[in-house]
Amino acid sequence: MTGVRPLPALGVGSVIVMLAALPVAGLPAFYESFLYLMFYWIALATSWAILSGFAGYFSFGHAAFFGAGMYATAHLTVKMEVPFLAALPVAAGVAALLAAGIGAVVFRLRRLRGELFALLTLAVTFIVATIILNTPIDGGAGVLTSSVPLPRVISSSPSGTLYLLGLIVCVGSLAIAWWVSRSRLGMGLFAIHDDEDVAEVKGVPTFTYKLLAFTLSGAIAGVVGGVHATYVGFLTVSETFGITVPLYVVLMSVLGGARHWAGPAVGAVLIAASLYTFTSGDQATIGRGIVALVLIVAILLLPEGIVPTVLKQLRRRPVTRATPPDAPIATQAAPKRSDAPVLVVQDVRKSFGGVHALRGVSLEVRQGEILGLVGPNGSGKTTLINMITGHFPLDGGSIRIDGQEIGHQPAHAIAQRGIARTYQIPRPFAGLTVLDNVRLAAMFGGTGLSGAALDAEAHHWLAFTGLAGKAASLPAELNLHERKFLELARALVTRPRLLLLDEVLSGLNPAEIDSAIALIRAIRDQGASIVFVEHLMRAVVQLSDRVVVMNEGATLASGNPREVMRDPRVVAVYLGKAHVA
Amino acid sequence: MPSLTLLGQSLISGVMLGGLYALVALGLSLSWGLLRLVNLGHFALAFLGAYLVYHLGTVWHVDPWWAVLIIVPVFFVFGMLQHWVFVVFRVTELTSLLVTFGISVIVESILQWIWTADFRRYETHYAGVSLKVGPFYVPWLELVALIVAVGLAWASWAWLRWTYVGKALRATAEDADIAAAFGINHRLLSFLLSGVCAAYAAVAGAFIALVSTLAPSQIWAWLGVVFAVVIIGRLGNPVGALLAGILIGAAESLAMAVISPAWAPVVSFTILIVLLLWQPKWL
Amino acid sequence: MLLELRDLHVAYGDAPAVWDVSLDVDAGEIVSVIGPNGAGKTTLINAVAGLLRIRRGSARLDGVELGRLRPHQVCEQGIALVPEGRRLFTRMSVEENLEIGGYRPAARASRDASLARVYDLFPVLREKRLQDAGLLSGGQQQMVAIGRALMAKPRIMLFDEPSLGLAPAIVDDMFDIIASVRAEGVAVLLVEQNVGKALEVADRAYVLEQGRIVASGKPDALTKQPRIREVYLGV
Repeated sequence: MTGVRPLPALGVGSVIVMLAALPVAGLPAFYESFLYLMFYWIALATSWAILSGFAGYFSFGHAAFFGAGMYATAHLTVKMEVPFLAALPVAAGVAALLAAGIGAVVFRLRRLRGELFALLTLAVTFIVATIILNTPIDGGAGVLTSSVPLPRVISSSPSGTLYLLGLIVCVGSLAIAWWVSRSRLGMGLFAIHDDEDVAEVKGVPTFTYKLLAFTLSGAIAGVVGGVHATYVGFLTVSETFGITVPLYVVLMSVLGGARHWAGPAVGAVLIAASLYTFTSGDQATIGRGIVALVLIVAILLLPEGIVPTVLKQLRRRPVTRATPPDAPIATQAAPKRSDAPVLVVQDVRKSFGGVHALRGVSLEVRQGEILGLVGPNGSGKTTLINMITGHFPLDGGSIRIDGQEIGHQPAHAIAQRGIARTYQIPRPFAGLTVLDNVRLAAMFGGTGLSGAALDAEAHHWLAFTGLAGKAASLPAELNLHERKFLELARALVTRPRLLLLDEVLSGLNPAEIDSAIALIRAIRDQGASIVFVEHLMRAVVQLSDRVVVMNEGATLASGNPREVMRDPRVVAVYLGKAHVA
Repeated sequence: MPSLTLLGQSLISGVMLGGLYALVALGLSLSWGLLRLVNLGHFALAFLGAYLVYHLGTVWHVDPWWAVLIIVPVFFVFGMLQHWVFVVFRVTELTSLLVTFGISVIVESILQWIWTADFRRYETHYAGVSLKVGPFYVPWLELVALIVAVGLAWASWAWLRWTYVGKALRATAEDADIAAAFGINHRLLSFLLSGVCAAYAAVAGAFIALVSTLAPSQIWAWLGVVFAVVIIGRLGNPVGALLAGILIGAAESLAMAVISPAWAPVVSFTILIVLLLWQPKWL
Repeated sequence: MLLELRDLHVAYGDAPAVWDVSLDVDAGEIVSVIGPNGAGKTTLINAVAGLLRIRRGSARLDGVELGRLRPHQVCEQGIALVPEGRRLFTRMSVEENLEIGGYRPAARASRDASLARVYDLFPVLREKRLQDAGLLSGGQQQMVAIGRALMAKPRIMLFDEPSLGLAPAIVDDMFDIIASVRAEGVAVLLVEQNVGKALEVADRAYVLEQGRIVASGKPDALTKQPRIREVYLGV
């Protein structure tokens, strides 16, 4: 949440003022119209990207919201003689409602693959189109909107007014996209884009956020449609709901870079400019072909889009980065170790398609202890962690943290109660920097921090895990050891009551293991209780206060590590009966 | 309520129309299901084929059946070339959609440049010929299209089910690494399949030329319905595509007769949405 | 020596790396590699099977350098994999899975004989031959995975955690089958967490810890080594 820097803000402001003044300067109508179309495409593509670019749910149904706004405006102004400006909010509302309705159903689907979402939205578009075509809203004859009186602002010509409206909508949608991309909502959407399951576990309310973004995206498209209704002068269903709008917004966004707030705008300018440069007859045909060719080349060579690629090039240059503020972290007084249980797991059962993964597991984790959870491969350790974090629903039993039942809560709610986990194979958000990965976890992990305090907290834990120098890197630039530590930093930044570590040591070399062990001790000293799943027994015995041994989905033994690991039953599980001496 | 004869006649034309849908859907379904490439360009390719058949027939007086034999190998090679580009640039499912959209626009421009945006109709002596079965008329060309669709769908199904190449393609679609560990050269097979899909577009194009009116913009008219057919029929399942095509064609045609022609498009998409939301096991 | 690994180094993505591993499997021998999860056992076996690239060192089968081959060519040399988690083609029938196993040209000629042999070994698969492999129980799926590898008529079979996720009684059967595979003259490289079973069946064994071989030898000798206790139990 960095503030707006004064100089660029001034630049942006003056460009907007200059653009707004153009009609007064007596710009020929042709250029007004040309620029209006730019604004129109920028706004439309930007609005599409708020869900589809940021969260990665590609919609082919943008024409439905755009068209709903268009026909709502036309219906209100032409048939009910509502003033144009009063009709626009209604247009936004209708489109938003449509998006929210679709989202509320579709986002509940268990496994919504990307292409299914794209096709569902496309199908909805055709249905909306058919309904409008066959009801008095259109009736097949089209709606004439050229006689709708437009408010006269600054310029006296209707084209000047449209130009200004287009500018306002364009600037407005860019501002919203900019704001979203920097907000909590945007962070959540980016995380959903990269790994929705992890996002949920880190505390992002994924369903709500997707729904919000879809609604916002639809509302903006509705307003754009409302303005465009008067620009075209005559509405037909086939033009409005055709394939042009959904495909062009996708192409523009992808060309410019759908994940960046400014990407769709850049793509829109490039594509729209080349489209409208060729306007007549044969030229138009060839022009479109050339645009398509350029597009193919651009997508093949810059799959991430223009804006992200350029930004990446810029970032490669050495930049003098401001050193992070000296972290004024309130060091928690480490709660003493005690026998009071933090987590109580009772008789938890889970099966997958007839296979009993957990057959009644009970264990408790006490305040401030490190509990080693061990057992052969497939004994149910990771499944148990997935149950505690709410990734899978319980088949039976109960899970309580601090006495409160969490067994049936959604994952993001459990995360906000102070349970954090790491993944055996690190699952960072690939599109977010190391710092943002940690900030996101803090933002949604129930810390209640924001602004500078949140940044400071994130920097503190990056330093704690030795990643301070990598804050601006993307996860792909880290090695396995660093990615594992990033997992830790993301978990620690939430100051969890209970930390679940899933094989943090596997794949590390001996020196890295020693540093990780030191780190885990330091974490415990900060006051967290730790459940430590690990196969590297040397480390388990060194670190754990107690161990619980699991076998075949049940607990086999528990207690002091050195005693438990000599228990004949445990030895038999690991080494076979022959070894029990 | 329309008469039973009318309903029967609607059903027949619907089934025929469905055959055409299935013909276009076949190649799309195979490349999507087995290669994970969404080839939007399939429609454009089919229309390019249609215009070529039309051109060969009207300008050089080549019989449409011979014309198909000429363009099928050409398209086969084109499909392999396109796939070569995809392989070189490591095109993913999503980028394949965008790139092939670009290809569609280019093809549309070429069609418009050569044949203009006017609607064209290929009049052959087969057109308008019908068989009379009881009170019903069965248009001859559409019947041939349906028979070819059934034949190709069955042949593709048999190819995938009973040959080593077909099984290897299915195995690769599910787990490419393990398939490779058993000696399957996926690269080679994917070129073959891409060629076959493009060849299917040529066949579909020939029938589009014979039974419907051609215009470059028509490329997009088929998109929604055929995508619905591909999904309902289950990706990569040729017989599924055939049955889904017939189901949707018949449903549309009956809706036209019973309700009104204007509401027909809703049918296919409602079926699609219901199936997607319901998510039955076989989908 | 049939399979010869020399100073093999494999590191790929987030898979545990393997460093400087040297290991031999002779014709008709069962060699086990044991070690805890995350030690790099799967990485090692996937590299031999051609699924992961070899960074350094060499892997030779009968003198043929495997590192230079493309994935689908490794199978041609007579290596067949029974992967961790079975990884069957779940939407294909049992028999189709087996046929994919016998895909390589050298194996196709004897398709019918190989099928009969697999069905004799696993009679239950003959009953279920037309069912989708994804619908079978875990033990039956493991049978298909082994049958699939047998169909390739390999000189060496690679088993990756064949006991994982199976009930104890079925695990015993699996190891009997591994022994019978060897009886037919096929060498076996077995990677296993279940130490008792893996050592029982093996002629020789290696202990892998954190990507390196820390002990090797005859099973009896290894059993007595305190190192194994340390690796597995930490005490």
